[in-house]
Amino acid sequence: MKSKYSALPYYVWMALFTIAPLILVLVFAFTDNNGAFTIENISQVGEYTNVLVRSVWLAAVATVICLLIAYPLAYIMSRLGPSKQRTMVMLIMLPMWMNFLLRTYAWMTILENNGLLNRFFGLFGVGPFDMINTQGAVVLGMVYNYLPFMILPLYTIMVKIDNRVIEAAQDLGASPLKVASSVVLPLSVPGISTGITMVFVPAVSTFIISRMLGGGGNLLIGDLIDLQFLGNAYNPHLGSAISLVLMVIILLCMSVMNQFGEEEEREGMLI
Amino acid sequence: MSTNTIISLKDIVVEFDGERVLEGLDLDIHDKEFVTFLGPSGCGKTTTLRIIGGFVAPKNGDVFFEGKRINDLPPYKRQVNTVFQRYALFPHLNVFENVAFGLKIQKLPEKEIRTRVLEMLELVNLKGFENRGVNQLSGGQQQRVAIARALVNHPKVLLLDEPLGALDLKLRKEMQIELKKIQQSLGITFIYVTHDQEEALTMSDTVVVMKDGDIQQIGTPEDIYNEPKNAFVADFIGESNIVPGIMKKDFLVEFAGRDFECVDSGFTPMEQVDVVVRPEDIKVVPTIAGHITGIVENVTFKGVHFEMEVLACGTHWLIHSTQSQAVGASIGMQIGPEDIHIMHKMEE
Repeated sequence: MKSKYSALPYYVWMALFTIAPLILVLVFAFTDNNGAFTIENISQVGEYTNVLVRSVWLAAVATVICLLIAYPLAYIMSRLGPSKQRTMVMLIMLPMWMNFLLRTYAWMTILENNGLLNRFFGLFGVGPFDMINTQGAVVLGMVYNYLPFMILPLYTIMVKIDNRVIEAAQDLGASPLKVASSVVLPLSVPGISTGITMVFVPAVSTFIISRMLGGGGNLLIGDLIDLQFLGNAYNPHLGSAISLVLMVIILLCMSVMNQFGEEEEREGMLI
Repeated sequence: MSTNTIISLKDIVVEFDGERVLEGLDLDIHDKEFVTFLGPSGCGKTTTLRIIGGFVAPKNGDVFFEGKRINDLPPYKRQVNTVFQRYALFPHLNVFENVAFGLKIQKLPEKEIRTRVLEMLELVNLKGFENRGVNQLSGGQQQRVAIARALVNHPKVLLLDEPLGALDLKLRKEMQIELKKIQQSLGITFIYVTHDQEEALTMSDTVVVMKDGDIQQIGTPEDIYNEPKNAFVADFIGESNIVPGIMKKDFLVEFAGRDFECVDSGFTPMEQVDVVVRPEDIKVVPTIAGHITGIVENVTFKGVHFEMEVLACGTHWLIHSTQSQAVGASIGMQIGPEDIHIMHKMEE
């Protein structure tokens, strides 16, 4: 009985800060300035389909790149000695101790037309390249900022894989590639799905990265929402509607991915 | 015997972080033999096994398999399979898939895999468990899966790293007999690592007693028990009384304050030796009839026998007897010539 009451603060917290805002978003999305019911806001979101598609696409690309970089790294880390593991985790966390804005500003100065990289290329007589204000720069910013969120869940899962199980696979004739595909991969599926969620969700709704590295031409859905609340286009009803659509999109993406994850697991079972 | 040597280790040296684990180990293992590496923890027995499996690379020395040097062969190319300590089953696979793992890698036809896996599961008494998850199994069952998973590949040599360590006594004894049966019926070389001397004596054709990265003695269980080469082996294999003595001449040794006839010869006259007497070889007799007189200090009931601690001539003697004596009683101890084992003092 006691445990029932000890959960009470959390229920209150969730009611106040999760359920209530969600209801507010819903109400705003389906009302007009006079408070009357309307679906005009939702249908208006359709005008921004290209922004939605671009957001999902760039976030997906960034997520895949993160996964490709993080997976081998997490595996290598998980097989190191305990003190080396601690150092590596520390090094991966270290950039996160610095302010997010600061890190993204740093990338601006690196990628600018007369920034660090272009000046470096200039020494060899090549360039300058257009790097800032491109979709590539936005993806780079996403990968750089969200990579730790992919590495850490993968590492946490992989560190639990018993070395003896890997040795057992080798002992039974599995080459390194086969060990990776039929033992390590299926056992790390939970880490993969957590990592994807933790990178994709913030990436798809980011607005700082796209504004700073993408210029005005690569507006993302996050920027769009931002504009409705703090920008010139002030329209909280449309902003709420876009947020709602974004949430549905994320939900859809996640369920598709979970489906894929489960299939992966089943495939792993069959080797 | 050397004609059917299957594995040969020559002058193997292993170091972990600068610490020597094996110091120049030489060993020949014969085909179809049940060999046990026996020793206290840290003696290098598991390391030796891992060298044969390919998981540890020796710093120095050579490993031969059927006459071919295999030092640089990775584990997955070796014709040996291992039953790991704590089994190391694949947690994401069921019993059938665990056992089939090796065969699937060999890309055998689905039908053959099925037949062989089912056959093997029957051999280890796990018929009908194919679709169980491995985490739903008891320790004994997991252990059988591990054995089946290794044996199904028909390895020439099976390596077993303390496979029964996590099981309770009764199950362990059953599995010992089962393992021996499997080894004999399949005609495969078993290399077995244990620190349990009784297990080693029960199952092995050959026992290799190890200590501090060195082989102390190689022999049949009877040899090792009856003719231990030094006091360490005597002490480790079963319980024993080890007392200092002097070899007066052939067949005559002095210890515990008097001369005893014995069956050993070939020592330098007046050599300082270790005298080993098994606790069950000391006969309890009335004080007048005994070679030595002692006072009973402690009696423990052990089921089949009583274990007594007797103080005599300044030494505590361990005696196993089917008859109990009162604590504090004076008893005579009789030791026959065949029951006295003379050993050179260990150089230390």
